[in-house]
Amino acid sequence: MAVNPGGADADEPPSMLWGLDPVFSAYSRLYITDILQMKESTQVPGVYFYKNHPLFQVDVLGTVVYKRERDDFYCYGVDDSTGVINCLCWKDEKWKDQGEPSKYRDPSGSSRGFNIEDELKRLKEAERKSTVLEIGDLLRVRGTVKTSRDAREIKANSFYKVSDPVMAVQISHMLEMPQLYRKCYDQPFQMPSDDLGGTEAGGSSHFHYLLSRSVLTLKEFLLEKEVARFRPYDVEFLLHPLIQSSSAEQESDQPRSFATQIRKLLKETLSILQDEGQIFRKIRTQDEVYNVTEQDKDLHTAIKDVLREDTKREKYAEKGCHVLHILSSVRQRYSQNLSREVLEVALTFLECNSDIISTTEAHYIVL
Amino acid sequence: MLPPPAAFQFPWEINSDLVKDGASVRTCGRLISYVPEESKAVLSGQQSSAQCHVSVQTTLVEPFQPILGAQYFVLGEIEKTDGLSGVMLRARALTCVDGVDLTLMQQAIVEQRRFFKERETKDEYASSLLRLASSTALEFSSALGAGTTTTNMTMMYYLRGKFSK
Repeated sequence: MAVNPGGADADEPPSMLWGLDPVFSAYSRLYITDILQMKESTQVPGVYFYKNHPLFQVDVLGTVVYKRERDDFYCYGVDDSTGVINCLCWKDEKWKDQGEPSKYRDPSGSSRGFNIEDELKRLKEAERKSTVLEIGDLLRVRGTVKTSRDAREIKANSFYKVSDPVMAVQISHMLEMPQLYRKCYDQPFQMPSDDLGGTEAGGSSHFHYLLSRSVLTLKEFLLEKEVARFRPYDVEFLLHPLIQSSSAEQESDQPRSFATQIRKLLKETLSILQDEGQIFRKIRTQDEVYNVTEQDKDLHTAIKDVLREDTKREKYAEKGCHVLHILSSVRQRYSQNLSREVLEVALTFLECNSDIISTTEAHYIVL
Repeated sequence: MLPPPAAFQFPWEINSDLVKDGASVRTCGRLISYVPEESKAVLSGQQSSAQCHVSVQTTLVEPFQPILGAQYFVLGEIEKTDGLSGVMLRARALTCVDGVDLTLMQQAIVEQRRFFKERETKDEYASSLLRLASSTALEFSSALGAGTTTTNMTMMYYLRGKFSK
């Protein structure tokens, strides 16, 4: 009853839409204080929210103020002046067998010239050195945020010592971060709920969402009520609750009327179902009558008849009839407007009922 | 286990009351003197025309190569003693950053501080608004009496009325 100042669940965008936020797929460069304070998602643990942006990967740059070494990993405490966080940096397998870095022959003095093995060893040594840091060094870490034992830490995917002799990297980092925040992280995640792109078919994602729901609703209805044939206005009522609930969520005024929205949604839904082959129009007349593929007994009989007759012929006796052959025969017999998708849906249905059987992927015979 | 974060402070700010005792800070200054026996170094920074000095306790970061006149970056805790020694910075990290562009660095720090200040004021504004909204809502519901329910719309109109004043 009281105004809810925004509970955590209500604020979080649904997990289906997270992929739409570019921040989600990027290693976000946040201040460590924000990383430590961000909320964990209630929908999926391991994903965190900064101002309704879902994220789980971060990129930090800071001074090492704490170091702990174990056999397999380093744990560096990184301080970027806003906060300190532990970074778990796993040691690379290839350096385990390094042994003592041996003295390398000076290639310029060597008669053999460029010795690839020595150079490779040097490269590996340089790589290894960039992962061993001391307190006071500058470290860059890119990795996933984890919460373990009530403490946030970063499990590094990649990390390296930054060579910054005149503090240029740190200064540019300090200058960039506020810009990044203003342009990106502090901008709210635009969930496609404002239906401005509703003019083109499938223009906005909210419309897509409504569409997928309406397709499902319609399918369920047709299955449950065993509808064999219907006209659009017969099923229009199914879409009313969808449009009503969506307009309740939106705050902006609806530029289009309820009826227009319903009509549009219905048209798109029927077109999708037709493309999938779930429904079809037997005869293209003014009267928009749709037949439901799986319930149309006449269609099924026609298919079975075709198969029965043709399998008697020697040509098809063993292997069965190919889908395209069935298609052309049924078209002649039943309806010229039959599409391949419709036929495939019908054939699958018949096969599930054990009326026909497929001998290969595209051939069928009748049982 | 982890040390507290060290915010950037300019040398002239360290000597003033802006920085509390025990606070972790980082700063940058030119090395004027170094006494290895006492582990004391002095960094100096310049604001307009005034020079100010910061004493640094270098026990934890020794040995290091002291280059007099070079710029150094130091991170550590402030210790304010009552005696003559004044303010001391116990260094945890000391790096030579000679060649650093001081003006640019100052700009960067000011920019970062401005950003955090903006954030603070935005947050304060938002939370005060929230407080007002929730207290208003409570008022409203108690005014209607117990046991009545109200729709969101009615609530919104009431709130709008309150806030537009």
